[in-house]
Amino acid sequence: MKWSSRIIDLIVGAGLIGISALALLYFVINERFEWIPEQALELVRDPEILKRPKAKKCSECHKNIYEAWKESRHSISWTSETFIEASENRTKEKCLPCHVPQSVQGEKPSPRLDLRDEGIYCVSCHFIDNKMQGPYDLLAPPHPTFRNPDYVRSSFCGSCHQKTFKEWQGTKVEDTCQDCHMPRKKGRLTQKAGLNLLHKKRWVGDHRFLHGKITEMDVVMETGWEEKFFNISLQNQTIPHSVPTADNGDPRLYLYIKFFNEAGEQVDSAKEIIAPQQETALPYNKKVNYRYRLFDPVAMAEVDLKYQPAWSKEKTRVFAKTVPR
Amino acid sequence: MNIPRILFLAIAVVIFAVLPVQAKDMVVKEPPKSLNKYYPPESDQPKWIQQMHKMSTHFGGVFVNLKEKDFANVDMHADKLVEEYKKTSEMVPEWEEYFDIPAAEAFAAAAKTHDIAKAGKASGGLGKTCGKCHAEQEVSVWAKYHWPRFNKIKVTDPISEKEVEFDDYMGSISSSFKGVTVNFGEGQYDRAAKALKTFKSRYMELKSTCSKCHATQDVKRFYVGSDADTAFAGLAKELNADKPNPGKFWKNIGLLGKTGCKHCHLVHRTNSFIQEMWEKKEE
Repeated sequence: MKWSSRIIDLIVGAGLIGISALALLYFVINERFEWIPEQALELVRDPEILKRPKAKKCSECHKNIYEAWKESRHSISWTSETFIEASENRTKEKCLPCHVPQSVQGEKPSPRLDLRDEGIYCVSCHFIDNKMQGPYDLLAPPHPTFRNPDYVRSSFCGSCHQKTFKEWQGTKVEDTCQDCHMPRKKGRLTQKAGLNLLHKKRWVGDHRFLHGKITEMDVVMETGWEEKFFNISLQNQTIPHSVPTADNGDPRLYLYIKFFNEAGEQVDSAKEIIAPQQETALPYNKKVNYRYRLFDPVAMAEVDLKYQPAWSKEKTRVFAKTVPR
Repeated sequence: MNIPRILFLAIAVVIFAVLPVQAKDMVVKEPPKSLNKYYPPESDQPKWIQQMHKMSTHFGGVFVNLKEKDFANVDMHADKLVEEYKKTSEMVPEWEEYFDIPAAEAFAAAAKTHDIAKAGKASGGLGKTCGKCHAEQEVSVWAKYHWPRFNKIKVTDPISEKEVEFDDYMGSISSSFKGVTVNFGEGQYDRAAKALKTFKSRYMELKSTCSKCHATQDVKRFYVGSDADTAFAGLAKELNADKPNPGKFWKNIGLLGKTGCKHCHLVHRTNSFIQEMWEKKEE
């Protein structure tokens, strides 16, 4: 055999061994995290990450998650004008645990004293008991990450959203908070060149923490006339917690009713404020009835349902309907 | 003399040192502005009250450890008390006079003899300084820094949907309440029924208002709870009846007044009056 063909064999052999080693490494990293010795995990750890960095630092690798979070209400939990006003310039103690949580772990957090402008940020939710935690076990240089099943459970969100969590528990619906508010897409956890190839694609939750849009498919209305009364019922048919819901914020549905006579002139009006703080929010799958006395002859009613989130004074229409007698 | 008796005497000395001052008429004067920096929003924590707790813990720590004969910790708490007492004396210049450093040092020295009787006796001089400041300033500090200010609360009037000052909102509730009672008194039941819708709407809005400070439902329900629901249902029933029953009507009005208005006013008005005075002074 010529020496040149021996060299080729050697190169091919070395290549095959290299590829096999890489494949094995990839397999272990992605499928057999438990095989990785703790010392190896420590080797890839950057101690700086243990110093509770700002979200911007995390964005160096987790660009997509960071950008989604930046769009979220969580990222402005300390800096939003609505919060500053409602908390009397951030002096109300009751607001602090959830607007600047030190560590979210299934029960009401303690407020932190540093980096408050970051709001509810990466470290609040993922840096627990001095290690990085998430829904997956990951070698993840520069911070090995440990799987905690709570990340896909509603109880995790219930640390702060306690009232909403209890409402959801009462519905017995299986879909979790994360299923609706953090819908998952398969993708890379990091976007940093090189590191992004270290792990296989995973289901990544939407860190914008989506706020659903209420439609007439969600809140269904029925009406009925009596001689001296007009009756309305509203039913939250699809959203497995009360609508609207909030522990301390004040989101509202406004139900406006206008009454008109035969000539088309408005003769009376009524209004309902459907709000968690007034304990009038619409529970899941249960009819709520409203009854209005008619003082004058009425030929028609106009019903208009509008939604105002906790962080805005603007209302958006859910539906408007005309109800002839 | 046995230890419980000595402890009792030590506590009594501290308490009675305060009483002669409290027995006087009290002037509720606005605390000096230099205290602002120890409370939010100027400080991220209520540092002044934390400082009080530190001193109180070390003072208590001396006696707890004397009783337990844990003398190393007696000495530690005595030293820490003097350290924190000195630190506190420098925090609010206007209140420097309240502090008596030699009295604090004398107490620490007595504590370090590990003789509980001596410590109890020496605590009297120090206790007097705490008591004098508490008697003259504690109400003011709590009124200014610990009670939320009603004049900062904005309420969305459910009728106009405009945000209004708390005082103005109370005026609106009062007017709509009179719309119900005056019309009823005049026998104008339909007008009273219409006015009830407005009054109920405004009254129930208070649940949202309460929640601006109160985090638990139970506290809100103490003011605007099932009694209010019962009263409003009873009022609506009477006003929608062909012949309203005045006895039942006024009974429900009374229920609202006693359980809602009175409860809230009893708890909140005194403090709100104090804050209002200071606000007016600033204007």
